[in-house]
Amino acid sequence: MKLIQAERDTLLKPLQMVTGIVERRHTLPILSNVLIERKDDKISFVATDLEIQIATYAEDGDTVSEGYAVTVAAKKLQDILRALPDKTQVTLETDESRLHAKAGKSRFHLQTLPAEDFPKFPVGSEPQAKITVKQKELKHLLSMVQYAMAQQDIRYYLNGLLLLTEDNDIKVVATDGHRLAFALMKLEAPQEKREVILPRKVVLELARLLNDTDESVTVEILQNQVRFSFSSVVLVTKVVDGKFPDYNRVIPAGYQKHFDINRQLLLQTLQRASILSNEKFRGVRLILTTDNLRIVCNNSEQEEAEEELELHYDGEALDIGFNISYLLDVLNHLSGETVRCAFGDANSSALITIPGNDDFKYVVMPMRI
Amino acid sequence: MDAQGLDKNRIDERLPGYRRIAHLDMDAFYASVELLRYPELCGLPVVIGGSGDWQPEIHKDGSWHFSRLRNYAGRGVVTTATYEARVFGVFSGMGLMKAAQLTPDAILLPADFRAYRHYSRLFKAAVAEITPQIEDHGIDEIYIDLCGLTDDTLTLARRIKQAVRESTGLSCSIGVTPNKLLSKICSDLEKPDGLTILDPEDIPNRIWPLPVRKISGIGPKATQKLAALGITTIADLARAETAFLQTHFGSSYGHWLHEAAHGIDDRPVVTESEPKSLSRETTFERDLHPRHDRHILSKILTGLCTDVANDLQRKGYASRTISIKLRYDDFRTISRNITLSSPTADAVAVRRAAEECLRRVSLKQKLRLLGVRASTLSAANTLRNSSMSHQGELPLAE
Repeated sequence: MKLIQAERDTLLKPLQMVTGIVERRHTLPILSNVLIERKDDKISFVATDLEIQIATYAEDGDTVSEGYAVTVAAKKLQDILRALPDKTQVTLETDESRLHAKAGKSRFHLQTLPAEDFPKFPVGSEPQAKITVKQKELKHLLSMVQYAMAQQDIRYYLNGLLLLTEDNDIKVVATDGHRLAFALMKLEAPQEKREVILPRKVVLELARLLNDTDESVTVEILQNQVRFSFSSVVLVTKVVDGKFPDYNRVIPAGYQKHFDINRQLLLQTLQRASILSNEKFRGVRLILTTDNLRIVCNNSEQEEAEEELELHYDGEALDIGFNISYLLDVLNHLSGETVRCAFGDANSSALITIPGNDDFKYVVMPMRI
Repeated sequence: MDAQGLDKNRIDERLPGYRRIAHLDMDAFYASVELLRYPELCGLPVVIGGSGDWQPEIHKDGSWHFSRLRNYAGRGVVTTATYEARVFGVFSGMGLMKAAQLTPDAILLPADFRAYRHYSRLFKAAVAEITPQIEDHGIDEIYIDLCGLTDDTLTLARRIKQAVRESTGLSCSIGVTPNKLLSKICSDLEKPDGLTILDPEDIPNRIWPLPVRKISGIGPKATQKLAALGITTIADLARAETAFLQTHFGSSYGHWLHEAAHGIDDRPVVTESEPKSLSRETTFERDLHPRHDRHILSKILTGLCTDVANDLQRKGYASRTISIKLRYDDFRTISRNITLSSPTADAVAVRRAAEECLRRVSLKQKLRLLGVRASTLSAANTLRNSSMSHQGELPLAE
């Protein structure tokens, strides 16, 4: 039975949208498959890892058969399509147990598994909150904090991102216990207070899928789920069950010692110094005296990098150590021209902000060197 | 008081494989330490246990006011008791309320582990002056390898007892035999202030009449099982066929039972022992419900984790495996553990791991005991090689 005939990209583009979450090795073989389904006039592609479910549609294409549904190895089909020349006409056909992809003189015969076995999960219908923003805004908001998420931490709730709606704000927070990033975005309409933890994987996937455009994305907070609808994609994720720590208590207020500095300048200086930082500890010493910042890195071979920056600083002298990666991370992900670095003492956290802007805060704990 | 073995001073070192191993056990250690502090309690039944609430109070005239066991209410257990209290049937591990029924007038003192550790160090140091061949076996027990010392056994044993008395003011009991197994049995034969020297040929006379539970390694369960098989004394055990024992107890334990009954034990005295694990546990004042008493439990868990972390730091270890132990109100006991990616001695990390373990147990039933254990120990200085050791932690937790 002939399923569809279309130009390569008509199939490849939607397929690539959903395959990002497909796990290569999974105990359930069908989870490596993509569900290709025709209903009404649309061809949908669905993938899931049981936590996240993502669906999208083929834009057009000459669909020639009645309703059908089949599942086939997602990565294999994607690799085949990608390896075909651009603009090639591709035909997909099925019989009892196989899917045949034909293009020119190429023939591929893939195993299928029954669509009935594909574990689509039920999606809640009553949104507790619904927000629509521009895709580029959400993409930007996530990018401000996602690098601070924990990875495989046993505090499982840190392996994700806190998304919080309150009044006219949408706030996001990520922390790995050593540093914490907070960002907020103003909304037009006030929102009810809602709080969910998005799994790490979803955040990384959204960062990949969201466009840098004015097109909208709708975020719906459902019972234990969040649904993101944008472009032709509908992504539903289960939320992380757990209590995210109270981020407010670790954001310091009233730090007196601070300086403003050009972000690019500080970033480049730290990048140079990091060449000779210890590969394992990644330590950097910041030595702050009146109008001067000295940056020192040592590695295990006793090699040393030293940088000096002139700036305006009239606070007490300070000698404080950090993991340089944590500083590079934040400087890399901000876009403004100037950053403000504020300190307590050598044992307390540092606060990095954008002068004149309360929408972003980055707290990083020092490191004894 | 000295042993029947006074003249049995003929363990002959010239014979190959002949060893002289001593087991030294302090007499009613905790209680005796308390009596040093409160000499007026000498000769009275004294029970140690419970919490600090039962601390003696000092009167204006300088005399002490002690709590009586009859006034005790709670679920603490007897840590130890003086011999005067043991006469009434009080033993370590017994509930304090139960002990109060047996001897309501006994004096109740809270345990003071700091003091006990202090005296423990004192007596071990005193013995170490005589020979460094010492194996630590808890706070109040040591094994001493006397091989290689020239003096005869009786002289040595008396000298050791003397050294312990001079350094601490406390008495101890010593058993000297060719191995640890027999010595441990013998140190208990003439308590308190005992000295027992035993040759292999004395085994039938002195060891075999004893009940099997006197052998360290035969616990209550094995004792019960043996009794069911008609074996109550060590003599019964010695007569039993190895094959018979192995059928009922498995091949290695069966074999060991046979050897133990015949006084065979080749274990060396291990002078440099590394602990395998460090743990802390507590029985609650009342059974606690995982949900309704969440805050209390959370506080207790934090306390235990902090104690374990402090123990690790004090002893210079870091742990990679953290376990929790739960005892439900029906005495069902379970444990769960988690292995960390890098060793830690940090209270927050221990607490976090313990919490993770708790997520894997059913928390519907009331609990009576909670414990935290740190194992897979490594020396703490290896910590410095692990990546995050100097990285500060955000104060995310309460």
